[in-house]
Amino acid sequence: MNQDLSKTDETVSEQDDFLNLLTSQVGSAGKIEVARDNVSEPVIRSWCDAMSESNPLYTNPDIANNSKHNGIIAPPAMLQVWTMSGLHLGSQFQRNTEDSPSAGVYELLDEAGFTGVVATNATYRYDETIKPGDLISGSQKLLDVSEQKATAIGVGHFVTTETIYSDASGKQVGSMEFRVLKFQPGTGKENQQPPKKPPRPKPASNSSTDWFWDACNNKELRIQSCDDCASLQHPPAVRCLSCGSISLNTVIATGKGTLHSWAIAHYPQAPAFDYPLIVGLVELEEGVRLVSNITDIEPEDLKIGMPLEVDWLDVDNEFTLHQFKPIQSVKQKSKSESDGEGENNSQISDLDQNDSDTQITKKQDPKLDLKNVQIGDELPISLVPITTLLIVSTALATRDYQDVHHDPKAAQSKGMPDIFMNILTSAGIVSRWINDWAGPEIDWNSIDLRLGAPNHPGDTMTLSGSVTEKNHSGNQVSLNIAFVGKNSRGMHVSGTAEILLPEISEED
Amino acid sequence: MNSNFSSKTAIVGIGATEFSKDSGRTPMELAVEACEAALVDAGVDASDVNGIVTFSSEQNFEIEVARNLRIPALSHFSMIPHGGGAACGTIGQAASAIFSGSADYVLCYRAFNERSWHRFGSGVQDRHGGAEAFDVTFGWTSPFGLLTPASWVAMFATRYMHLSGATSEDFGRVAVTDRKFAATNPAAFFYERPITLEDHQESRWIVEPLHLLDCCQESDGGQAILVTSLERARDLRNPPAVISSAAQGSTDDQQAMRSYYRDDITRIPEMKFCADQLWKNTGLGPSDIQVANIYDHFTPLFLPQLEEFGFCEKGEAKEFLRDGNIEMGGSLPTNTNGGQLGEAYIHGMNGIAEAVRQIRGTSVNQIENVENALVTAGTSVPTSALILSQDH
Repeated sequence: MNQDLSKTDETVSEQDDFLNLLTSQVGSAGKIEVARDNVSEPVIRSWCDAMSESNPLYTNPDIANNSKHNGIIAPPAMLQVWTMSGLHLGSQFQRNTEDSPSAGVYELLDEAGFTGVVATNATYRYDETIKPGDLISGSQKLLDVSEQKATAIGVGHFVTTETIYSDASGKQVGSMEFRVLKFQPGTGKENQQPPKKPPRPKPASNSSTDWFWDACNNKELRIQSCDDCASLQHPPAVRCLSCGSISLNTVIATGKGTLHSWAIAHYPQAPAFDYPLIVGLVELEEGVRLVSNITDIEPEDLKIGMPLEVDWLDVDNEFTLHQFKPIQSVKQKSKSESDGEGENNSQISDLDQNDSDTQITKKQDPKLDLKNVQIGDELPISLVPITTLLIVSTALATRDYQDVHHDPKAAQSKGMPDIFMNILTSAGIVSRWINDWAGPEIDWNSIDLRLGAPNHPGDTMTLSGSVTEKNHSGNQVSLNIAFVGKNSRGMHVSGTAEILLPEISEED
Repeated sequence: MNSNFSSKTAIVGIGATEFSKDSGRTPMELAVEACEAALVDAGVDASDVNGIVTFSSEQNFEIEVARNLRIPALSHFSMIPHGGGAACGTIGQAASAIFSGSADYVLCYRAFNERSWHRFGSGVQDRHGGAEAFDVTFGWTSPFGLLTPASWVAMFATRYMHLSGATSEDFGRVAVTDRKFAATNPAAFFYERPITLEDHQESRWIVEPLHLLDCCQESDGGQAILVTSLERARDLRNPPAVISSAAQGSTDDQQAMRSYYRDDITRIPEMKFCADQLWKNTGLGPSDIQVANIYDHFTPLFLPQLEEFGFCEKGEAKEFLRDGNIEMGGSLPTNTNGGQLGEAYIHGMNGIAEAVRQIRGTSVNQIENVENALVTAGTSVPTSALILSQDH
């Protein structure tokens, strides 16, 4: 698929030369970038709105003025935002490659066809609280350019930079180690794998049989019946097979029956199905038989004569097929609810409860007692619906105008199926979620993120995490929280956050 | 076939290509080669042939085969539907054409690359949609993943095991016997490669309850058979294999491969119908048959065929097999060429050729004193069967 990957001596040597060029700037620092604007409340508020961040210390002066900060503070997760280049008179700002070693490397990589870019890791350390009025500057150093790697999204080079952020007095307020993958679009493992599982073959039908499949789409199992002699028959015909009548009708079956016979398909395997595949011949209690899948059962538990009931399979929202599953005794039922399936269902019902709520669903536990948080305590699961609005509004709120975060065609030309969430937002949403749990009193030390499967519109990210460390240092107690955010493609983000709990009084 | 033209026609020539998994030639070359070989075997010139009967699934149409063979004109040509169910039907319709006077010499053939070209066993997974009645029949099974011949047969097999008590090992006995005969047949794909019942049991699942070794092999090859009147046959070089009777059968609520909606799906009523016709037309019965070729695309449907022909009672084929009846020296040696599991899967036509050899006395696994040989065609579809006999 990728000609450049052929390992002739010549190309290996060309690759070596190219890598030497890429790494020649490693260790050098660029010009100090000073933010265009001071830290300001409106920018903070837009960011909080986009992230659904409700910590009052960021937006509510009445509460913030009475806090230990004596006023509004900027969310620590905005550290990187202040020096983002933003839009300059309607066009995306290009850093001068002489002023920025990373920009020089990106340009070399772009020219060599590595035009795709995704952030893969970020570690933010928060040394000082940033407040409105501060003027932040950043000094970036190129830490590393990797050799060529084959990754899931494409063949490319990892570029690692470190940025030190300072305030106007030169005092360091935080730092960021940032790693991106510059890759060749279309060279990912995803592109080389067979396409997504196709849907099951649609039932071949015509106007004599459409009623059967239309009924299935309404989750009704219908059988052909004769108006004259009341016989039932399946598969349907154009005459009554008993009396020859042309007056045919349909009746709704109860959906109950027994297993008349079965087959378990192993080979050959059609891509639309999962194997081993159980196919049953079901005798309905009305007396006719039909072929269907038998679900919710292990092959060794199949028994001819076992009672079954109809179930429904929605195939890619295109059409619905009947399936049959055992009519379970009470004992069997409680067993199946205690295994993995039950957990899955509870997540789905959470989604249902919260779906109509806010853009980003959240669960708050008002009774959380930070003093008594223990290692192993779990944070409440949060479901984050990934919408175009969320991706675009958060990209703008983080002053990130990279086209892959708002322009689907541009994202596709760079090897992605659609626009995707930027890493500043992943950091912001994780921070928001931890703030929701821990409350506004905490301070942030650091957050370390590793990005995997991109968040594309239409997906849902499920955040979960737990306390992994609790460290005491004098009156200070810090917590380490390990977290993961999963979407339908896999792990979107994983990492660790370190927060400081409010100081505990002596009596504790 | 009506009894009044029983034994009026005969098979006078058989010809085949080699059986392989990659012929290296086109199916048309295979068809023409097989037909040429049958004509040479019979000592008949192509210019005397004026009839061709083949399968409706045959892709080498009679006109192109006739063109290559330089057959000047055809007065009878027809095609029999339903895959392997057509095999004996081609001979029956050839005999019928000859008896009626619409043809003198009729070639029947089947040729394909079902292994090296499109793999026949992959089934209908690429067959989507369509509004014609036959397309619509697949709508009742394909969306549920019942896509291959093996899967269609497996549904019958499970029920048969349940009602009869037959086991996977009983199915295995069919495969082991086939492979034992194939092992001594140089024309067989599995020549000198017998299997044990353990091999059968250890072979991987294809569609439970069918193991790999319950399934015939997709093959490349061609088989042709020449039919003429018994009167003409007697002037030719080989002893005639007299067509005592040939019958086709399709019965109530018949479906193609998936007749799942009848009262008892462990029976094969269309094969019973063929059996009844053969016994009636010939006056013969099970004890008059010395050797048989019982269609064995998948082993499970071998068993109920024995029951439908009355070689054993319903549900008792397993005992019939366990007692060694189908082996050399048994009461009904079957598939002495190795069957479709051992020799090749030429949709039943090679089984007819083996019955001809048994009548002539030229089989590599010759049974002594063969008077009558039974051949059956593809099961779970509309089917056919025939009895070949010595000329007296």
